[in-house]
Amino acid sequence: MSEPAIVQRAIDGLGRRLAKRLTQSLFLALALLAALGTTGFALAKTEITFWYAWGGSEGEQVEELIAEYNASQDEVEVRGSFVPIGDGERILASLAGGAPPDLLTVWDWMVVPLGASGSLLDLSAELAEAGIGEEDYLPGIWQYGSYKGAKYGLPTTLNVYAFIWNKDVFEEAGLDPEAPPRTIEELDALAEKMTVIDRRGNLRRLGFYPNVTSIYFYAFGGQLYDPETLEVTLDHPRNIAALEWLGDYYEKYDINLIRRFQAGWGNPASPFNPFYRGQIAMQEGGQWEVRFTHEYAPDLDWGVTTFPAPEGGRPNVAPVQSSFWVVPAEAAHKKEALEFLLWLTAPEQSAGFAAELANIPPRQDALEMPEFAQTVTPHMQTFIDILLEGYVFTPPGLPVGLYLSQQLNQAVVSVQEGEATAKEALETAQQNVLHELEKYR
Amino acid sequence: MAKAPTKATVARHSQQIAVSSGLTKRQRRDTWLGLAFVSPWLVGFLVFTIYPVIASLYFSFTDYNVVSDPRWIGFRNYTDLFSDPLFGETLYNTLYLAVLGIPFSLILSLLIAMLLNNKLKLQGMFRTVYFLPSVVPAVAAALLWRWFLNPDYGPINEVLWQVGINGPGWLSDPRWAKPALILASLWGVGGSMVIYLAGLQNVPTPLYESAHLDGANAWQRFRFVTLPMLSPVILFNLVMGIITSFQSFTNIYIMTGGGPSNSTMVYALYLYQNAFQFFRMGYASAMAWVLLLITAVALIAIFRTSGWVHYESRS
Repeated sequence: MSEPAIVQRAIDGLGRRLAKRLTQSLFLALALLAALGTTGFALAKTEITFWYAWGGSEGEQVEELIAEYNASQDEVEVRGSFVPIGDGERILASLAGGAPPDLLTVWDWMVVPLGASGSLLDLSAELAEAGIGEEDYLPGIWQYGSYKGAKYGLPTTLNVYAFIWNKDVFEEAGLDPEAPPRTIEELDALAEKMTVIDRRGNLRRLGFYPNVTSIYFYAFGGQLYDPETLEVTLDHPRNIAALEWLGDYYEKYDINLIRRFQAGWGNPASPFNPFYRGQIAMQEGGQWEVRFTHEYAPDLDWGVTTFPAPEGGRPNVAPVQSSFWVVPAEAAHKKEALEFLLWLTAPEQSAGFAAELANIPPRQDALEMPEFAQTVTPHMQTFIDILLEGYVFTPPGLPVGLYLSQQLNQAVVSVQEGEATAKEALETAQQNVLHELEKYR
Repeated sequence: MAKAPTKATVARHSQQIAVSSGLTKRQRRDTWLGLAFVSPWLVGFLVFTIYPVIASLYFSFTDYNVVSDPRWIGFRNYTDLFSDPLFGETLYNTLYLAVLGIPFSLILSLLIAMLLNNKLKLQGMFRTVYFLPSVVPAVAAALLWRWFLNPDYGPINEVLWQVGINGPGWLSDPRWAKPALILASLWGVGGSMVIYLAGLQNVPTPLYESAHLDGANAWQRFRFVTLPMLSPVILFNLVMGIITSFQSFTNIYIMTGGGPSNSTMVYALYLYQNAFQFFRMGYASAMAWVLLLITAVALIAIFRTSGWVHYESRS
């Protein structure tokens, strides 16, 4: 026998032996698994998986809640893991792959697109059965995350935007620090007085910086869509009026100078936040500023009020955003996940969690819980009042999700670049969104 | 008349096949054994590369939001592409970065490679220094460049101001953002530089010596010896440059996110947005196939016109 043949035979033998071994071990493993399934597993608690979206101390707070729930009963064991929402690839993959967690945290704009395509459980029947309804939630919040009568999730904790101003800068400019603008004309006049340009011709301070465009659409009396009929109304005449006003602003202060200035701004969650440093005198800010200023700018003197509005507009807009807790339609333990969700959103838990995140709990009864009420500062109280008394609006709950926001941004950009008038830009956006929505009819 | 095959005819038949494919029984078994040994890779390749590629072709003809079933819509994604102004804009931005960026990086890396090919003191150190940026993670490099290019406190504008120029807004100015990205990308020429260096060291010294004897000056030696000998390497770097440039994503995602005013919104970035933010996976798949087509056309054009490439083995 030649040498290669010997080697060959050795390999063949090895292959056969290996195959035999593998088969044997496979059978053994299967037998063991079967044995375990009938005995050991029966004693274990039902394990439910929960993806939450907070790291750091906020994540620790969630883990504490999970531990508390696990200790409170011996039916289920909640296993939490920190999965940042990011841009959603991992969440999409888990839903599309049919192996999602039992409870999941997503951004508000994902709720209706995912729900309408059948990936999320409609909670309305279960919530009704548990006796939870519109009256338990803050005004304007119950509809949030619903679509055509189905309720695809519950908001975690709320963020609300209001108009904030830096009193130190007002004083420095010789203005009354207790007199924020009430009308658009006043806002324009104040913005001009506080804007500073340096010897290089660059901006040193912006009197006013509009960032979230849609807020001004609503303040002018417009709307992105009709929450009742679900009709998209990007080209609403009041939206056009608001975008024209914004367009004038970008032209007056030169959008490229603003962008250049913006490039030098520091991280908002740091002492280098441009508002804290007086680089911006007036802007929109969320209730998280209460926590942030306490941490990063303790000496800052600032105020909170409702957004200024033109005549015939809405002087009390309360833009609200939140992340959501949702149960995937293909979750392995839907019933258990729902039970845990009901516990998690009960007033005690909700109040403590919102306080930890410096957010506002979405439930009426949670607002009064000492866990939250004790943490409310005067600034926070103003934010809460604006939310309770204002015209609450949330990002459109439509299956086109972020596409609508992108089209809106695109419209703003074309106005900034002088490529289109406000009317043309919004009409284009409207057409594109309607075209995209056709897919969901 | 067809007869039912008997055992014997089948055996003969398979023998014929074995003979016609030039393999003995043993060789065939070896082939199967070999395939079995590489099967982990084969399965991975089929499942994770070939299948997604083919699936994406199918998805490009559907309306597909990942979580619900794809719905066949024919060519609508493709026709939508041509009425989507952002498609044209992102394509333009991508081509701009490629057409201006690739020649710059090809020339710069060749220049550096030629300098570093000289017998210098500390030659090894210089080579390391020029190569180092290519091993810095893309995200870290992007963050660093964002600081360099910062209009207010970045060192580049500070130097410009020292000579009396109020530097541009760079990444924050739609007119300067693309040139700024090209500038930043030149930092990573170390990769192609190393390939040039290897190519340069393969040029036989006798060629230079005889050119020298014939009275060729430095430029002529470069033009008629170095360049032709290096042309396959240049072609390689050009092809790789086109492929990576058409797919550029990470540095732009970090540095500008596509802004300002979509001036740096490149094709891959817009594709990503459609797929994972707008849940338009069908549309994104169509975009991917159009990009593949464009890349293929560009590469075919380059290979067709590659008469300038000199292959030593063929001459």
